[in-house]
Amino acid sequence: MRILIIALFVVLVALSLMIGSLGGVTPKALLAGDETALRVLLYSRIPRTAAIILSAAGLSVAGLIMQAISRNKFMSPATSGTTDAAAFGLLMSFIFLSKQSGIVQTLFAFVFALVATLLFTSVINRLKLREVVYIPLLGMMYGGLISALTTAVAYRFDAMQMMASIGLGSFARLGNFAIVYIVVAPLILSVMYASKFSIIGLGEDFAKNLGVRYRRVVFLGLAVISLISAATFVAVGPLPFIGLIIPNMATSFYGDNLKKSIIDLMLFGADFVLVCDILSRLIIYPFEMSVSLTVSIIGGVIFMIYLLRGMYGNRKQKTV
Amino acid sequence: MIEVKNVSQSYNRHGQRKTLEDINFSVREHTITALVGANGAGKSTLLGVMANLLPALSGSVLLDGTDVRRVKTNAMAKKVAFLKQTQLLSIRVTVNDLVEFGRFPHCAGRLTQLDRDKVSQALEYMNLTELRERYLDELSGGQRQRAFIAMILAQDTPYIFLDEPLNNLDVKYSVEMMKIVQRLVSELNKTVVMVLHDINFAAAYAGYIVAMKDGRIIREGVPEEMITRETLRAVFDFDFRIEKYGGKNVCLYFDNE
Ligand SMILES: Nc1ncnc2c1ncn2[C@@H]1O[C@H](COP(=O)(O)OP(=O)(O)OP(=O)(O)O)[C@@H](O)[C@H]1O
Ligand SMILES: [Mg+2]
Repeated sequence: MRILIIALFVVLVALSLMIGSLGGVTPKALLAGDETALRVLLYSRIPRTAAIILSAAGLSVAGLIMQAISRNKFMSPATSGTTDAAAFGLLMSFIFLSKQSGIVQTLFAFVFALVATLLFTSVINRLKLREVVYIPLLGMMYGGLISALTTAVAYRFDAMQMMASIGLGSFARLGNFAIVYIVVAPLILSVMYASKFSIIGLGEDFAKNLGVRYRRVVFLGLAVISLISAATFVAVGPLPFIGLIIPNMATSFYGDNLKKSIIDLMLFGADFVLVCDILSRLIIYPFEMSVSLTVSIIGGVIFMIYLLRGMYGNRKQKTV
Repeated sequence: MIEVKNVSQSYNRHGQRKTLEDINFSVREHTITALVGANGAGKSTLLGVMANLLPALSGSVLLDGTDVRRVKTNAMAKKVAFLKQTQLLSIRVTVNDLVEFGRFPHCAGRLTQLDRDKVSQALEYMNLTELRERYLDELSGGQRQRAFIAMILAQDTPYIFLDEPLNNLDVKYSVEMMKIVQRLVSELNKTVVMVLHDINFAAAYAGYIVAMKDGRIIREGVPEEMITRETLRAVFDFDFRIEKYGGKNVCLYFDNE
């Protein structure tokens, strides 16, 4: 399985580097020392491909950790208010500090995302809901509330245009890609903490018995999720479904031992978004559609299949 | 050494209704201590306080002279392994993964050869080697219980607390389980405190019995002293018939007058 994912990854990266509105970036041209080709590769294609890989890997991991912490397969940064709060934070940085560097924007987005996520999880823990689907539903309402607030504030301060430009995720945006490299830090952290994230999935007492400080690890996990969500949001905008479907597909293969699955999950998430991105560049070539759209369509269909299969499977189990 | 000193505990915020009331006892080293008592007597709560999973309202639990509340979580995990009465099955992992989690206090997730050996040994002990790649949710209740116990074994701590470890085990595995626990004590010098509901298992395998009722320890002693009609009536409010069998007292709890 791993070999397959890696092979696919290599092919897709190569393809992603070759495709674009400017033709001529081919291995042949590069080997011949074609300068324009080289420049396009260095300043446009490589950053773009790196942004895809990092944001996809990041969001997949964020979803995986979110699902481990909440013990809920329907959770993701998009169903806990995290992404929406990141958007709100971005708007705040825009309003208070006007045009800022990506780092400051990310910092704002991160702080708001973290606070909103902490608030949500602590409320959820207090409610002790039995039904797992209520939690992401509540989370979506909560996120909806935040984004409504964002829109209202944006109207009030004439920032609608700025928000609209972020509204759709895109890898064609120039300038902000560098921000996505921030994701590397939380990714490394999450690999280091993979076992701990799995263990806290088995409950507070269980974790404590194994010497894992539950609250600290939960906080760290939420911080990782918020930072990834904030950085990817500032760099490429929202990428829906990634944090939901990629972890679900990966854990149905590898189980919930994060240590075993986390690297493959990153590569798999990157594969998925690379495919979506290549498609969105090819479908209306030489123009391109927003990758959010492609991801939503493909991801939505996969998620539906997943849900239906799950429901069918459950029913089958019940009647036996 | 584990000593429980004047421990009281309550699940109410202001402590009106005490779950544990003024508990005092020292855990006997290198012995199996059986904790017995009716449902709701406070056995699980006491183990929880002793393992520092629940805070005591007053009093303290001393581990080698240090209050457990001051022992670092990781240091505690190397000293005491605690299997709760019920397990949360919230994540999908294999038997092998679970038992490897037991090594976490020692290796923080990076297993050395020693850790792998301990895992294999624990699996072997619980007769799970063949099932090691199976997911927990694909096992029978008893197999799953054995997997959790294997995890506790892999944790390899001097103190082991088991809350109703015979849950879900059939007679064969219950007896085998108790023999394994005996071997842990005799061969590996462990100290075990376990909640048992079957008084005969306690009588046959434990070196010491602590009986609880309504949050208090009402009797404690070696099995010979404890398995008497009078003591058992005081503990369980139930009349047992005591028969001699092979030099040991055996309790009969069916009304067959
Ligand atoms: N989380 C809790 N919140 C409130 N009360 C609790 C809680 N857990 C236990 N109790 C109460 O505390 C008392 C002691 O419970 P405990 O679980 O320690 O009993 P036990 O001796 O282990 O019983 P059993 O044999 O049924 O396992 C019971 O009256 C119980 O209702
Ligand atoms: Mg109990």
